[in-house]
Amino acid sequence: MSDDLLLSLLWSVPMAGSLLVLLIPKQFPGVIKWFSLVVTILLFGLTLVAFTKFLSESPSGDVPAASSLRDRAAANTLTGPVGDAVTVGETGKAVGDLVVRHPWIPYFNIQYYLGLDGISLSLVLLSGLVCMLSCLASFSIEKNVKGYFSLYLLLTSSMMGVFLALDMFLFYVFFEVMLLPMYFLIAIWGGENREYAAIKFLLYTLFGSVFILVAILILFFWPGDSVGSFGGAATWTAHSFDSIAVAQAVSETGYYGRFIQQVVFLLFLTGFLVKLPSFPFHTWLPDAHVQAPTPISMILAGVLLKIGGYGLVRFAWPMAPAGAYDFSYYVAALGVFSILYGALAAMAQTDFKKLVAYSSVSHMGYVTLGMAVMVIAGESDPRYYAYGVNGAMFMMIAHGITSTGMFFLVGVIYDRAHTRDLNKLGGLWNVMPIYGAVSFLIFFGSMGLPGLCGFVAEVFVILAAFNYNPTLAVLAAAAVILTAGYVLWTLQRVFLGRSEEHKGLPDLTTREIIISIPLVVLTILLGVYPSVLLDWMNPSIIEGVVRPVTTARALTAAGKAALTPIKTTAIAPQTAR
Amino acid sequence: MSWQVGLYVAAVFLPLVAFTVQILGIKFLGRLNAYIATGAIAGSFLLSLVGFLAYFGSAEGVFDHHARGGGEAHASAEGEHGGEHASPTKPHKAEPLLWTASVDWVTLGQGLKDVRHPEGLAIPVGVAIDSLAAIMFLMVTFIATLIHIYSMGYMHDDPRYPRFFAYLSLFCFSMLGLVASSSVFMIFMFWELVGVCSYFLIGFWYEDKKNCDAANKAFITNRIGDVGMLMGLGLLWSAFGTFDIHELNSTLRDRAGKLNVVTASKDAQAYDVVRLLDPETDTPLVDDSGRPSQIPYWVLTIAGLGIFAGCAGKSAQFPLHVWLPDAMAGPTPVSALIHAATMVAAGVYLVGRFFPLFTEPALLYIAYTGGITLFVAATIAVVQSDYKKVLAYSTVSQLGFMMLGLGVGGWAAGLFHLITHAFFKALLFLGAGSVYHSVHTYEMPVLGGLFPKMKWTALTMLAATMAISGVPLFSGFYSKDAILASSIHFVFHEGNYQHILLFVLPAVGAAITAFYMFRMWFLVFAGESRSQQAGHGHDTHSHGHDDHGHDHGDPVAHAHESGPMMLWPLFALAVPAIAIGWPMFILPFFGEPILEMMLAYGAPIPLADLGSAHNWAMLASLIIATSGIGLAVLYYLPGYKRFEAAKVAHRFAGINSFLQHKWYFDELYWAVLVRPTLALARGVSRFDKSIVDGVVNTVAGLTVVLSKFEGFFDRFAVDGLVNLTAKIIYVLGDWGRGIQTGKVRNYLMVLACTVLLLFSVVFAWVGRGT
Repeated sequence: MSDDLLLSLLWSVPMAGSLLVLLIPKQFPGVIKWFSLVVTILLFGLTLVAFTKFLSESPSGDVPAASSLRDRAAANTLTGPVGDAVTVGETGKAVGDLVVRHPWIPYFNIQYYLGLDGISLSLVLLSGLVCMLSCLASFSIEKNVKGYFSLYLLLTSSMMGVFLALDMFLFYVFFEVMLLPMYFLIAIWGGENREYAAIKFLLYTLFGSVFILVAILILFFWPGDSVGSFGGAATWTAHSFDSIAVAQAVSETGYYGRFIQQVVFLLFLTGFLVKLPSFPFHTWLPDAHVQAPTPISMILAGVLLKIGGYGLVRFAWPMAPAGAYDFSYYVAALGVFSILYGALAAMAQTDFKKLVAYSSVSHMGYVTLGMAVMVIAGESDPRYYAYGVNGAMFMMIAHGITSTGMFFLVGVIYDRAHTRDLNKLGGLWNVMPIYGAVSFLIFFGSMGLPGLCGFVAEVFVILAAFNYNPTLAVLAAAAVILTAGYVLWTLQRVFLGRSEEHKGLPDLTTREIIISIPLVVLTILLGVYPSVLLDWMNPSIIEGVVRPVTTARALTAAGKAALTPIKTTAIAPQTAR
Repeated sequence: MSWQVGLYVAAVFLPLVAFTVQILGIKFLGRLNAYIATGAIAGSFLLSLVGFLAYFGSAEGVFDHHARGGGEAHASAEGEHGGEHASPTKPHKAEPLLWTASVDWVTLGQGLKDVRHPEGLAIPVGVAIDSLAAIMFLMVTFIATLIHIYSMGYMHDDPRYPRFFAYLSLFCFSMLGLVASSSVFMIFMFWELVGVCSYFLIGFWYEDKKNCDAANKAFITNRIGDVGMLMGLGLLWSAFGTFDIHELNSTLRDRAGKLNVVTASKDAQAYDVVRLLDPETDTPLVDDSGRPSQIPYWVLTIAGLGIFAGCAGKSAQFPLHVWLPDAMAGPTPVSALIHAATMVAAGVYLVGRFFPLFTEPALLYIAYTGGITLFVAATIAVVQSDYKKVLAYSTVSQLGFMMLGLGVGGWAAGLFHLITHAFFKALLFLGAGSVYHSVHTYEMPVLGGLFPKMKWTALTMLAATMAISGVPLFSGFYSKDAILASSIHFVFHEGNYQHILLFVLPAVGAAITAFYMFRMWFLVFAGESRSQQAGHGHDTHSHGHDDHGHDHGDPVAHAHESGPMMLWPLFALAVPAIAIGWPMFILPFFGEPILEMMLAYGAPIPLADLGSAHNWAMLASLIIATSGIGLAVLYYLPGYKRFEAAKVAHRFAGINSFLQHKWYFDELYWAVLVRPTLALARGVSRFDKSIVDGVVNTVAGLTVVLSKFEGFFDRFAVDGLVNLTAKIIYVLGDWGRGIQTGKVRNYLMVLACTVLLLFSVVFAWVGRGT
């Protein structure tokens, strides 16, 4: 299968599934469910195919995992004049390098441009898995099955698109498309206060996406602070939505000056922090989670939140390293505050689902912190920052697994006991031993117990933070006490003790066990042997984020010397290169 | 990887394999789990016995060199610090034998630092076996094997019998992993794993809320210490980029055991930095750009204190000691294995293992922590009526002794006490379990007179009691003597008279220890049963032990000796509890204990020559033991009783109640830490709902209001404006209509006037131009 087809299938298969579901008569809900499950299984299979392609040698003789996305993108150049003129045709397309590029709206230089590297592939794999598991968890949906699964597959398709897109305009399109199915899924199949939660989710995310759009447009239209050489050949003239090329221009030329990088950074940051979510933009999350049906909560926590983190990793930092550096202390402090704030808020909850939702806020703080602990190459050892970014990415994967599991487990007990009130639960371990064992493992994984996945992420971020600012690092480390506090207290209130009221509740069914197994296995595997993920994610992170960010010309001493202030002189000076 | 390392790796993983089999097959295996677990740990024991013999068989100069002589040592070292490096000019510390191997667990950041360093920053996992680790391994596996066997008897009727053994296996894996770890990062990981095993085992009977609370308290208190440990890890890693204990140990200090402190200055402010030294040449290490590897002295101190905070949590040192007594909620074999002999000693073990890290202020802090802990715990133990609690506080107190020993520089002494204590404390707990199994109560006031009914239990416990009290010829005597000698050396010989407390506290503490331990033994075993006259109720633990058909009114009446499954471990432990501290020639028991020499062989820094301190310590020990035991006899031994304990308690009611309340630590923490945290959590939640979410909702609400107003404005203003324009045009049109009269002369008139006006304007304009 050519990689063009493969990458396109990754988003179009669920899209097609979404349309085909509409053709199935609604008298056969079973058929609809099984059909959707087959689609998501197929999708997960495709992500695995992409994964093996990523790790194995392509016909052109390269291993995609071994070459940076930038090089692979460069091998897929569109010929013809670049810039705001029409681009046509393509040559030199490398086969099997997991990058696809075609002109889409040539007038604005918008491309149909997809690509996978370690950063996006890890999230694509996660999405494939979570979508499949939540689809299985959706089998208990009874209301308007046809509409539900159609919207569900549309949501899946758009999430895949978000992670695949390398063209910022395309990214934005997928990003917006994603909101609508999510809105309806919460608003129709949600709990008693679903309309409020759904509209809050929709408006809040739209609010955030405006910032992202503005940032993208600024990068597109910016007239340039100075003329910089780009890649040694063509001169950068902006007017491009190509995220790889823009990031390269930002880090290697003086085209985007310090001020505009600050503006772009703040816009991206705000937009993606809403999605992440981080304090103070997090309040849509508890409402959305509490109201959403279980499978949608799983998707929301497992995949949707990751889009915020992905945006930070892929856009906010690489597209504005100087801005990121200038605000890094405040962002790191915000991350630490989010960690502590989320943990404290979680501790006070009595609604099981709300508690898990706030724990997400706390965990996503580690993503912010891990990204923010940046240093400048030459002033400090950037390898520590590599631990920070890897920790942030690892946290997204780990949280994707554990929080999916936690929301699933909350759903299991809500289905049986019809309550999520922690004070009304209790003694469940004796009643449902397998459920108890799985829950302990997943919750401990989320708590960051060594040997389980959450630990690796937390400890990497905290260790990297010590190289950045020991005070913030100690505060972040102190959060592990609070985390232990709310997790243990929750487990005690739900599973320990004795219960007469809940006696006789059935243990996990086969379907539920099938859902738990991959989550349990991954929680342990990633905790014991994190290299299984880091080995192929780390090179992409280094080449895609850490190196360009820590050596950005606007930051390093050599770069600063070469970039004299621009607008003050009549003639833009040439850069040193 | 040499075969020795392979041996130890196998010993670590055997219990993990057993755990995996047990937990996955818990339904099918059932009670077979006990045999799997016991077999695995026994296998580990055999492997570590082989390792132990191989280590001390191939280590040279263990016995001809000893610390007190300060002589030259010969050693053959394998692994990374291989080779001899004889320096003829100055006495040097020869590297002791070390078996080590490691693989990179994670490597990140390849090619980022500079061209010459393309390699990434790695976190390796590895095994490092030195003399301390070899001894610890043997001790842990030996005690654990016995406790597995004992548990088969003790837990026999428990409904969760298979799960219990699975937990034990997981614990053994974590503990052995901790001992074998080559890096402090790995130790941290196993640290938390033993913590979680301890959590599950303390809360093993989780139907009782009390037990769950105790488990939570243990875990969370430990996590407080772990934050400190993380801090230490982070600071060290930022400074040196490595977690390897032996690498840091050998580079932090020169051969004389001193830190290489230099004064540096930055921004005109002078401060001390510690520079790493090349262990081969004793010259400062520099990186490629010529910068020395260094860390500010105060940062190193903080890092050391951070690591120590973790140790204090695990080893229940003041102020984090509060969890250990509550941890006695777990089954007694667990208390013996985890909360007395092995896991709680891990903190002491780490301090010993990472000893060169600690700067002088840090060591002083450690010494005082130990001193305060041992004293506080000993005083609390005196007033406990629950014999398991007495043992718990005595454990805290003994751990304090070890820390104090290490803090005053008695490296071998502190660790020596760790090993001897493990044996006699495990024995005490198992004895206590044997008693409980027979009488089903922990309350000493209703016991007494058990000696004739449980002779073997009583005798083995007596041996352990004598060991802990420091009776000559028993193991505890030698190790406590070594600690006292170290503190005498530190205070008097090195002239640190201002730290006299570091001698007074252990001396007084040891006397109190002898007192309360014998008090316990007398109250439980001596004289007649007190249960008839007292008529106390006693706590009935609901865990399946109640079906013995006892008459619960009088626990002693039906007491019986425990079965062989529980007795044999007691005998097996009694032997080392007595003999483990013996010197080579027992009789003029002045020689240096064999075990201490074995430990001292692997000391990471040269140990001081204690000289005459030993003789003074011996004298002090004898006085201490005699006075403590004598007082116990006078107060509690029926027949020899001269004083009434109750009267003393009454006279000093204030102190008594202060001690009964355990110095009010729990109340203090509740008021200062727990309650404010919960209040803060509630506050945050409320803040989140009312303020943060409130702002969001207000903005949304304002938008709605605004849009309503806008709708109104639209209807009346914007739309009105449109209508107004239309109206004006209409009016104008209407008015214009009046002009159009349809009469030609009117039109001509207007035409003429307009032409006239036009011409006059045009001529006026043109004329101005000329």
